[in-house]
Amino acid sequence: MAAAGAWAGKVVAAAVGTVVKPIFSRDLNEARRRVRELYRAWYREVPNTVHLFQLDITVKQGRDKVREMFMKNAHVTDPRVIDLLVIKGKIELQETIHVWKQRTHVLRYFHETETPQPTDFLSKFYAGNDP
Amino acid sequence: MAGLLKKSTGLVGLAVDSNPHEHLRILYTKLTAVLQNIPKDAAYRKYTEAMINERLNMVKTEPDVQKLENKINDGQIEEVILQAENELNLARKMAQWKPWEPLIEDPPSDQWKWPV
Amino acid sequence: MTRDAATCPAVRQQARCLESSTTETHPTIRPKDEVQQKQLCAFGEYVAEILPRYIQQVQVTCFNELEILIHPDGIIPVLTFLRDHTNAQFKSLADLTAVDVPTRQNRFEIVYNLLSLRFNSRIRVKTYADELTPLDSAVSVHQAANWYEREVWDMFGVFFANHPDLRRILTDYGFEGHPFRKDFPLSGFVEVRYDDEVKRVVAEPLELAQEFRKFDLNSPWETFPAYREAPEPLTIEAGDKKGDVK
Repeated sequence: MAAAGAWAGKVVAAAVGTVVKPIFSRDLNEARRRVRELYRAWYREVPNTVHLFQLDITVKQGRDKVREMFMKNAHVTDPRVIDLLVIKGKIELQETIHVWKQRTHVLRYFHETETPQPTDFLSKFYAGNDP
Repeated sequence: MAGLLKKSTGLVGLAVDSNPHEHLRILYTKLTAVLQNIPKDAAYRKYTEAMINERLNMVKTEPDVQKLENKINDGQIEEVILQAENELNLARKMAQWKPWEPLIEDPPSDQWKWPV
Repeated sequence: MTRDAATCPAVRQQARCLESSTTETHPTIRPKDEVQQKQLCAFGEYVAEILPRYIQQVQVTCFNELEILIHPDGIIPVLTFLRDHTNAQFKSLADLTAVDVPTRQNRFEIVYNLLSLRFNSRIRVKTYADELTPLDSAVSVHQAANWYEREVWDMFGVFFANHPDLRRILTDYGFEGHPFRKDFPLSGFVEVRYDDEVKRVVAEPLELAQEFRKFDLNSPWETFPAYREAPEPLTIEAGDKKGDVK
């Protein structure tokens, strides 16, 4: 395990080009472990959150949202970037657990009120939105 | 002795020292011992040893606290003791950090060039 | 200036003071304080001699401010030395902040402003980091660094290792991004409004009306003409000149 870790670290260093200072994780496996820990913590917190904030969603929906948020960053492979994302995720979790957030902040994840951006040419033209 | 004449240092959290000479002598002796771990040619050892030897001589030769304070000229004697304590802590850490070694790493060439 | 450089060879002098060219009776330039400058030079050399492992450069600015430029590994040793050494006693951390210069390899400059009450003098310690490099937290040296480091983390996204309580301090919960980075747009990414249907404040992607999309702002870099480098003198070849006349 340790040998595998060292090998992965070497690969990462070779990919980056120079030896860099790690944030927490020395290799990808360690970073992945941290991500799994964070995911577990969020997974367990969802029922509490739904109850505390009196959200009109089921626990299943909440967990699906958590999963979606994690999968959004599934393409990241640099352990340092993963570490930073995990740190930010932990800060968010702390804010949620301590109810520093309010309902609006939690419900912001669900984008209920947003109108989807027009995709085809004509509706873009009607919306007057160039990009 | 000094405590009878002086009621307070006037500084929060800094009590009047009843026997400053003894305290300073102990601290400076400890400091000298710690500085032995640092190489002789290190600038830190050189300067610090010069300073504490000078102060130690003053402490040895001048029995009167008021005059000693004036001679050292670095605040009240209690503050001088505090400085010696801090210096002792620092010297212990310096022995670990080894800051007299050559520069770890040069900065990237454009790092400190201000008009970018 | 050359004489100063001779007395303090290790200390770089920033010679960017504007010389008064006109003969005014009350020129609005700062008088030069040679004595103070010498003292700062001497102290800068003293520190550089003691800590050669961490100090990359020492300079005195034209406003008589001593700056010590250090390697990021040296934050704790340098700050502790400046705090505890009897000849320094910079016990007070007046400010800690960051500067973002995106063109550099290490885009963030972290700046520590220290004050010595004993010697009535100030010193500035600078180091650098990029987006992914963790820096050592200075909280173990100066308690005041706690909230400043939280601010730098929140505004610039520089991570401080071993900070006791690193979380957001100024931005709203759920806010994404680091607003003081130069690549963060002035208008942000979301706009916030009260929605009557869902009875709460909602945040939506920014939709700027056309008239707000045109910013007539100069580049922030252009606001300091004193720091702009003198333009190259224009030299035109004789042949080119002829071409222009035609």
